[in-house]
Amino acid sequence: MSRRDTLIDLAVRAAFMVIIYLVFAFQLPNYHTPNGIAALLDGAVLVGIVSVGVGVTMIAGEFDLSVGSLAAVTGVIAMEIINIGVLPALLVGVLFAAAVGAIQGLVIGALGINSLVFTIGTLIGFRGLAMVIAHENTVTMPIEQLPDVDVLTQRFLGVFSPISIGMIVVFGVVGLFLRYTRWGREIYAIGGGRSEARAAGVPVLRPMMIAFTCSGALAGLGGALLSIRLGSATPLGFDSLLLSAATTCLMGGIALEGGIGNVIGIAIGLFTLRFLVTGMGALGAPYYVQNLAIGALLILVVLIQLMATRRRRRQARAQLSVRIA
Amino acid sequence: MKSLRIVADLVQTGPPEELDPQIASNRRRQATAALVVALIVLLIVAGLTTPSFLTFENLLVVIRNASVTGIVALGMSYVTISGNLFALSAEELSILSACIFGWLMRANFGLSLSLVVTLLLSGGGGAVQGGIIALGADPIITTLAFGGFFRGLASVVSQNQNILLGSDAAEWLGTGRPLGVPTQSWAFIILTLVAWFVLQRTRFGRLLLLSGANRVAGTASGLRIGQAALLGLTLLGFCCGITGIFAAAQFGQAVANLFQGLNFDVIAAILVGGIALRGGQGSPIQAALGAVFISVLQNFMLLHDFTSGWRTTVVGILVVVATCGFHLLQRRRA
Repeated sequence: MSRRDTLIDLAVRAAFMVIIYLVFAFQLPNYHTPNGIAALLDGAVLVGIVSVGVGVTMIAGEFDLSVGSLAAVTGVIAMEIINIGVLPALLVGVLFAAAVGAIQGLVIGALGINSLVFTIGTLIGFRGLAMVIAHENTVTMPIEQLPDVDVLTQRFLGVFSPISIGMIVVFGVVGLFLRYTRWGREIYAIGGGRSEARAAGVPVLRPMMIAFTCSGALAGLGGALLSIRLGSATPLGFDSLLLSAATTCLMGGIALEGGIGNVIGIAIGLFTLRFLVTGMGALGAPYYVQNLAIGALLILVVLIQLMATRRRRRQARAQLSVRIA
Repeated sequence: MKSLRIVADLVQTGPPEELDPQIASNRRRQATAALVVALIVLLIVAGLTTPSFLTFENLLVVIRNASVTGIVALGMSYVTISGNLFALSAEELSILSACIFGWLMRANFGLSLSLVVTLLLSGGGGAVQGGIIALGADPIITTLAFGGFFRGLASVVSQNQNILLGSDAAEWLGTGRPLGVPTQSWAFIILTLVAWFVLQRTRFGRLLLLSGANRVAGTASGLRIGQAALLGLTLLGFCCGITGIFAAAQFGQAVANLFQGLNFDVIAAILVGGIALRGGQGSPIQAALGAVFISVLQNFMLLHDFTSGWRTTVVGILVVVATCGFHLLQRRRA
């Protein structure tokens, strides 16, 4: 896609986001209050952070199914060691998740195994590990430590909490990394055309490891942050995270075939999803309708993209036949 | 430029892979044989070390557990063999079927009408997904989307509460034991044989295998590749419907949190069974054996007081080792 195409694509997606926003904004007066915006931002943190990681693996042409389980393990680990302090526990959790992600990337890259298959296995294994570490129970934070968590609910400029600032930092850092560093460009290269990239001398293993380290670390960060903020972690949690993250990425224009997309798109996808979910919740829809809405939204995205691809393919075929003639 | 890229794409997919039927069937036999040997070893070890393992009652429990996963795994094996990876919506479609069946029974539609309508709807749920995939959508994302949709729908149908069937007309279906074997297990055994026969001996089976083996060659020789996805997912839908009906009948109620983790149990059965994910090879027998193997292993660990966390972890490790192992074997042969 040329630069102009990319901009048009993003503009269309942003317009869709604004439409969803307006649909609910007219019906919900407290949508624009600082409290409403702060709640919206805080509610977006988990899916936002994890989506960036999933997006990076998708750009590399791979798919990490294990993010939900990894978020659960990391949440449980952070809770189990929370007595060393909130920040150290968070750090240990994220380092663990990053290490696990790096190993996944190493195995997938070195063996050339399909990442879907491999991460199905680790998805099951991490879920089991989370239950083992948590002794099959919800892990809660000691009551005397709960005041430490208040830091996370502070407000800056009226709408930003430390966790939503964390999310914005993640978007910024990963966005700059992907756009302006050599290692970031390598991720696009192996996603856009792996054999061409290899032929051009791009190593496959390094970007693969970076991509999976990124998705692992961010899944862990999301899981640990949310568990700490809630003061408890359940080993069976985060099971619908993959659906939300994949919807966010696809709605944000990350191509499943790899090589296309950026974090601005992910942000647009994220807020489209959040506007829809919070809007429906505020209008009184029961929580279980969320899955229905997200599923329906993703089906819609799949159908629209399917039609677009088929149209493009038809046009290309027509051009090709003209040139051959 | 665009036209150039298409030519490049065509070149990149390369000449059609050689599919020597002899080699393919040898591979399948080897994978099946390895699994049977592993299963026998596991049975002997479990029997020798665990006194309560080789009792008739316990073996019935093992078989019944394997039946739920196994029936869905049969349908899933068709999806995988036809080259469409796997579906992440089997669990959700089974839940939805159970809720629909429960709802129909409660509304006094009668057993036979409820059965027919539930099966038609579950088959339809599979067919819609199959149709979209047949048009070229990604199977994983499509089924992930429909999974969320079906789960939400099941909650809406059941109002997120228990649906009591309200009559014992369906009770025999869930708890009956013709000749001492649970109905679910009869269904599993019969469906395994039917699935095997259809894949090996019918035109439809050939279509599935060839579509999975090589898309480009299949299309070039006039096969309708899309049909394979459509039929595979429709059959998976029926299997989910059957499982859902059995569960609702067995417990006399349906609820939207049935079948926890079924998707991954089923995919684990496929992978442990050694069905190649790129499609074109494998047989439903392998999926069935994979389901039985995992069920025996789970039961063995249960009798040795493994917590559910450890059991899940071991199954995860087994899947990782099995997939890496099969992958390396294939790479070496190639």
